[in-house]
Amino acid sequence: MNLGDEFSREFVITRKIYDGFRELFNDNNPLHVDLEFARARGFGGVVMHGNILNGFLSYFIGECLPDKNVIIHSQEIKYYNPAYLDDKLIFTAKVVGVFESVGAVEIKFCFEKESGVKVAKGMIQIGRKTV
Amino acid sequence: MTDADVLKQVNEIFIDVLDNESIVLKRETVAKDVEEWDSLTHIQLIVTVEKHFKIKFTAAEILKFRDVGHFCDEIIRKLGAS
Repeated sequence: MNLGDEFSREFVITRKIYDGFRELFNDNNPLHVDLEFARARGFGGVVMHGNILNGFLSYFIGECLPDKNVIIHSQEIKYYNPAYLDDKLIFTAKVVGVFESVGAVEIKFCFEKESGVKVAKGMIQIGRKTV
Repeated sequence: MTDADVLKQVNEIFIDVLDNESIVLKRETVAKDVEEWDSLTHIQLIVTVEKHFKIKFTAAEILKFRDVGHFCDEIIRKLGAS
C-alpha cells in the first residue's frame, strides 16, 4: 500500500448482524433494544451497537486490502451520530502513513450515512505478520 | 537539539508507548532491559519516534541499532540531514 491510497465500501446494518451481535455478546442495554427507552433519550430508534462498526472494520482489513498478510496493531474510533437498523453506511479509508522500516501502515477511516451524516471516524495501524 | 534532549524525548515516548512510568533509558539500554519492549511494541516505538521527530528509518537501519544510544545517534543524524 502507498501513501494516499483510498478505499471505499458500503455496509448495511442488517437485522441478521444486529441480532447476531446481541446473541454473541449479550449487550441488550435498553438503548439497543427498547424503542421507547431510546426515543425518550432523543434517538430516532433503537441505537445500533457502536462496535458493530468495528466488525465492518475487521472485514475491511482482513478481506478488502490487497495484502492478506496483515494484522492490526492498534485502532481508535470516535462516534459522532447513532446508526439505526438497516442504515446503509458509506465507509471510506485513506492511507495516511507508511512506515517502511517496520512494515506498518496507518489508515484513517470514516463511516457516513448516505445523507452525509458522519457516524464515526478513526485511525487504524496495521502491519505484516512475519515468522 | 542535544543528545540529552533526544534521549529525554525518546524516554518519554517509551514511557507512553510501553505504559510504564518507571522506565529510565540510558545510552546502553537494550531491549532485554525493558520488560515491555518486545517485537510488537518495538514497531509502535519506531512508528512513534518517526512521527515525533518527523524522520524515516529504513528496515536495514532498524536492524543495525545496537542500543538506545545508537538509536538516539541515528535520530540526531537524521535530524541533521533533514
